[in-house]
Amino acid sequence: MRLKIGAVGVGALSVALIASGCSKTTNDGGSDEKADSKVQAGAISYDAADNKGPAPAVDGATKGGTFGVFLPDGFEHLDPARNYVNTQQLAALLMGRSLAGYREDGKGNLKVIGDLATDPGTDVNKDCKTWQFKIREGVKYEDGSAVTAADVAYGVARSFSGDLSEGPHYIQSWLADSDDYNKTYKGPYNGGGDLPPGVTVPDAQTIVFTFAKPHCDMPYAATLATTTPIPKAKDTKTEYDRHPFSSGPYKIKSYQIGNSMVLERNTNWDPNTDPLRTAYPDGYNFTFTLQADQIAERLVADAPADQAYMAWANVPPAQLPKTTTAGVKERVSQGPSQFVWYYGINTQRIKDVNVRRALNYALDKDAVLKSIGGTAAGDIATTLLSPTVAGYQKYDVFNAPATGDVAKVKELLGTTTPPPLVLAYANTPRRAAQAEAARKSFEAAGFKITTKSIDPTNYYTEIGRKDNPYDLYLAGWGSDWPDAGTVIPPLFDGRKITPTGNNNWSYFNDDTVNAEIDRIQGLPDAAARQAGWAALDQKIMKDFAPVIPVNYDKDYMLHGSKAGNVFLSDAYGYPGLTNVFVKQ
Amino acid sequence: MVRFVIRRLLLAVTTLFAISVITFLLFFAVPSSPAQVMCGKNCSPEQVTATEHRLGIDRPIVEQYGTFIKGVFVGRTIGSGDFVRQCPAPCLGYSFRTDEPVTEILKRTVPVTVSIVIGAAVMWLVIGVSLGMTSALRRGTLFDRVAIGVSLVGASLQVYFFGLVLLLALVYSTGWLPAPSYTPFTENPGKWALGLLLPWITLGFLNSALYARLSRAQMLETLSEDFVRTARAKGLPKRTVYLRHALRAAITPLVTIAGLDIGASLGGTVITESIFGLQGLGRVSVQAVNDLNLPIVLATVLLSAVFIVAANIIVDVLYAVVDPRVRLG
Repeated sequence: MRLKIGAVGVGALSVALIASGCSKTTNDGGSDEKADSKVQAGAISYDAADNKGPAPAVDGATKGGTFGVFLPDGFEHLDPARNYVNTQQLAALLMGRSLAGYREDGKGNLKVIGDLATDPGTDVNKDCKTWQFKIREGVKYEDGSAVTAADVAYGVARSFSGDLSEGPHYIQSWLADSDDYNKTYKGPYNGGGDLPPGVTVPDAQTIVFTFAKPHCDMPYAATLATTTPIPKAKDTKTEYDRHPFSSGPYKIKSYQIGNSMVLERNTNWDPNTDPLRTAYPDGYNFTFTLQADQIAERLVADAPADQAYMAWANVPPAQLPKTTTAGVKERVSQGPSQFVWYYGINTQRIKDVNVRRALNYALDKDAVLKSIGGTAAGDIATTLLSPTVAGYQKYDVFNAPATGDVAKVKELLGTTTPPPLVLAYANTPRRAAQAEAARKSFEAAGFKITTKSIDPTNYYTEIGRKDNPYDLYLAGWGSDWPDAGTVIPPLFDGRKITPTGNNNWSYFNDDTVNAEIDRIQGLPDAAARQAGWAALDQKIMKDFAPVIPVNYDKDYMLHGSKAGNVFLSDAYGYPGLTNVFVKQ
Repeated sequence: MVRFVIRRLLLAVTTLFAISVITFLLFFAVPSSPAQVMCGKNCSPEQVTATEHRLGIDRPIVEQYGTFIKGVFVGRTIGSGDFVRQCPAPCLGYSFRTDEPVTEILKRTVPVTVSIVIGAAVMWLVIGVSLGMTSALRRGTLFDRVAIGVSLVGASLQVYFFGLVLLLALVYSTGWLPAPSYTPFTENPGKWALGLLLPWITLGFLNSALYARLSRAQMLETLSEDFVRTARAKGLPKRTVYLRHALRAAITPLVTIAGLDIGASLGGTVITESIFGLQGLGRVSVQAVNDLNLPIVLATVLLSAVFIVAANIIVDVLYAVVDPRVRLG
């Protein structure tokens, strides 16, 4: 999943965090909360009680008032086919319902349940290839007309269009059985049919997806905006971004791209059809014009006009000290985001696994983390999976201190002299400081390091070229849904390596690992899959060490004193909006 | 006069043409592709190629430039098949990232920047010039010293410091003023002024410092000129000497500087807009550069150039009005 700034793809985070301040070491304001203190209980629930509307009431919540969000960038897309940034996804949940959704209680419990559909999808033949969803009766659009299965199919169909290609492409690729998903079917435009390949609509309330290969993650994929219903008559194509036709509890009252957006109630929304949204506020205001430091200052000040607002921006290091005082610290939401940062080790160039292990021991992760802001910016990582992923298991195959273990490096390398290495980094103040800290620690352990700066907008393109001339480079990855199936296969499946555009930055390709990926993906039982991924996570690090996990990324966001039920969503990494309320 | 204006306009057109060509070339000289930047995670090379095709940046630069110019003068159609859109002249294209017509983005952001600059300019001219002139007339008095001292402080401060201090003192800590925001003048003039008061004070105070010092120096120089002595010797009242004779002569260079300052500021008051959270031309252009959003970069660069060129022409014309010795021809 991409973060708030879509501008540079996975590199978004680096830019977003640079914008939020200097690279000065600061531990002020960080809490003692450990990333792993959160218990993951992610599950797909078919329990009728879970899947029935209305949504469970929030303790102490009252109806009414206007809830606000401050965020430093405008939305690029609200069109479900083009929506791939977490802030946009969270905002879109207020106006659009997809087949499934996440229920979260803020205590780490996360369940995938049916949203538009009566449950998170029926695996018809128990082979994960045919998925059936029954649309709830009585779900209405903002004009009072009924939501049908054909509208969901049409929404999926238009997401095949090359002109609306910015969103996630999981379901499309599964239907087309190819990563090049729109090679033959290009959406319902220019004479294309209204039903994508593999989708059937037996009746107005039923939609069936048929895949060539098993995709047991379908309930998760069904939470993406891709399955939001769009009536064909309301499809305004590229203009749809400006006014998505609401099937949720709110609709757009006014929207000025990049400035502000105001939502009001969709009076045709029936809470009894919706197990996910409490919809307490009468409306929402989004303000896109403030910078992260201004947002922090205003929420620290907590002026009456700002009290029902929350931030969708991390508190910059300079404002952190102000957030530790009584009256403010209670209004901070913090915890791990879905992102994990790694040093990819180019296994095409560093073939000796002992050298890769030695590099893992050599890195002073503590110094590297301090160079970007310390504990407020993240927690030291030892695993491939983020603590937000269902089934995450904490482990450390190296058991090295956070500052590195030079003696162990010497022991592993023995008499072999490692070749001189090139460490590449995105040329921003934050990443440069980090690269410098890493270089120092590698050199202290006896490696010869040359650093190479790369234009930040081009960084992921460069390291994504298979024949890139670098040995070590930092990269961040976040899950698209809290399941390791969106982390390990894209990063470590060697069969996906292409000449350019790679996410497998280590260019790691091992047959046993690839076979294990296939085996886990074919397991129909979610708990078995989670256990499988957790074991594979350890196996990759233990046997191959293709990366050095550096840190789990962390969010640290403020809200005003009248913003109720604000907590970080494990599914989206930012605080959600569907169950907040305005304290009276 | 007419000949002068025509000549200057022709020169202006040439300048704008050159700027548009250079911007275009510079944009394509950058080694990163906007399609790659937009595409993000899980992006296959096919998708990058498809996006480049959709944005039209896979065609030769000359052809793209031709399309752009054609759009400005006669409009053009963008997209193909069911996605075709008519973009009437003056068509500046669509934002690569949000698909919004660039003309709409300008319509939304230019009033913000113009409001900031006009209000601030009124403030810095009125405060600066009156302070400077009064100081000159009362040279050596306490007033003069205090005024010059204050203006020295103003001249040494920066927007990002002074603006933040004002925000902290008047908004965040005390809540005396509402947080800066933009309300269209036509909607509510009171709210418009209140929302922009802080940027006006900030820019007005900092720039007035320069104008105070400059106008004081100019006035002092003029007051020592022979024609002022002559006017006094003729027995003209002080008022007439200062306002009719001395002020008019002293103000000429100020007109030049004010015109250029205002013209340059209209191109975008990036730092001011950022500090006060106002979405004006400056911020939009900086974001566009970061996003490699060519249509917006081109439009904002050209618009800033138009402001500066126009300011130059206006200054030249005003010169002739203020100073009768100058003849345009």
